Amino acid sequence: MGEGIISNNDDSTTDVQHIYRNKTDKRILKKNPWKDYGLHISVLVLVIIAELIGPIEINLSKSVSVSIMPLLYTMVLGLIFYLAKPITWIQRKQARVAEGAMMLFIGVLIAKLAVSSGQSIHLIFQMGPALMLQELGHLATILIALPVALLLGFKRETIGMTNSIGREPEVAVVVDKYGFNSPEARGIFALFIVGTIIGTVFISFLTSISVSLLPLHPFAFAMASGVGSASMNAASLGPTLAAFPALETQIEAFAGFSNLLSFSVGIYIVIFIAIPLCEKLYSILEPKIGRDAIIDEDGGE
Amino acid sequence: MVELIDGSENVSVHGIFNWILLLAIFSVITCIGNYIGYEHPIGDSLVGMGILSLITLIGVWMERKLPLNISSIIYISVIGIIIALPIMPTSSFVLHYVSQVELLSIVTVFLAYVGIGMGKSWNEFKALGWRAVIVTILVIASTYLGSAIVAHIILVLTGVPV
Repeated sequence: MGEGIISNNDDSTTDVQHIYRNKTDKRILKKNPWKDYGLHISVLVLVIIAELIGPIEINLSKSVSVSIMPLLYTMVLGLIFYLAKPITWIQRKQARVAEGAMMLFIGVLIAKLAVSSGQSIHLIFQMGPALMLQELGHLATILIALPVALLLGFKRETIGMTNSIGREPEVAVVVDKYGFNSPEARGIFALFIVGTIIGTVFISFLTSISVSLLPLHPFAFAMASGVGSASMNAASLGPTLAAFPALETQIEAFAGFSNLLSFSVGIYIVIFIAIPLCEKLYSILEPKIGRDAIIDEDGGE
Repeated sequence: MVELIDGSENVSVHGIFNWILLLAIFSVITCIGNYIGYEHPIGDSLVGMGILSLITLIGVWMERKLPLNISSIIYISVIGIIIALPIMPTSSFVLHYVSQVELLSIVTVFLAYVGIGMGKSWNEFKALGWRAVIVTILVIASTYLGSAIVAHIILVLTGVPV
């Protein structure tokens, strides 16, 4: 058992990097992606429209407001551009180029956050305990989402679906541990796909509401924004920066560092704590609250 | 999803040329957005984007060329942190120009590419059904709030002023 865990761990770390490297290389090294000028001009137009509209604040009640940032317009409009029939110059090929390019552009985003971290390095050391321990806060998902997933009729899929926020590194860990065609892998694929489509928009709204409702420390929101992928980090940072404009550099520093921890330390927490905890909770709860399997009728392959 | 795991390909000079051009396109679009949204001068923010692009380029190059098994995200973070440290001679130059580029301007352009890229997953998303959507929303909300609440408790316990 012990050996199994150690070897899994090695494989998954290798996989994590291969995912990024392969996707980027395949999409942008073979072809000449800059020649897809229709794609880049479309992005430029989307950005100009979004920046001209600017952020919109919607008051839900006296104390709760949701801010919609230009970053959400460009993302949603980008998706609409792909899906809209009349826009013939954005097709599957352009989506693949965009995805490969995005893997490279993550670097620019990370570099900007790293510069803020370097500038505020004394703060990072000072806040070390909070930064490290908030990674353990991610485990809350198991306690809340796992019972609900069981009540909804998921079986072994719950272990893949609820062990973590399910971005690329965690997908690699689960696929590596349970195999590509296992129900656990099917679970995290479902989480990955749904998270890709709704995750960024949802975390942006969630942050807006949390920032105006919960009396937490601004740095706590900054650290929490780093829980998921780079785009989720970015989408969550928008409303946080808008709520605490005086703390811009510090918030960027903590967000960047927390996202870095999610990618590095986070996968070890998933391997050594989250997945064993999921297994344990599953074996306790499944006989009590498990339902009939729904996976067939629900379209899971 | 099969695309997630398949063979790797080699990096050529041609490939590096592609990276540089893509980063240049990205930089120009970001600076235009940065000018419209925040009115930072385009010249200064172009220098800032140049610095960030160079860090990215070195990071992705190191990931592929060095025999170590370390992700480019780590290289990029370490380089970015080091050149911005207050004790480094590069610090004031880097901070002056990079601060001209708002994080949200970069993100706005980045997410436009993400939006177009995720169109590919749309059909799979529609096939998954409402149960998967409910679980995903719960997973994201509880991970985010769990992290924020733990961070808040530790910050208060260690006496960090608001």
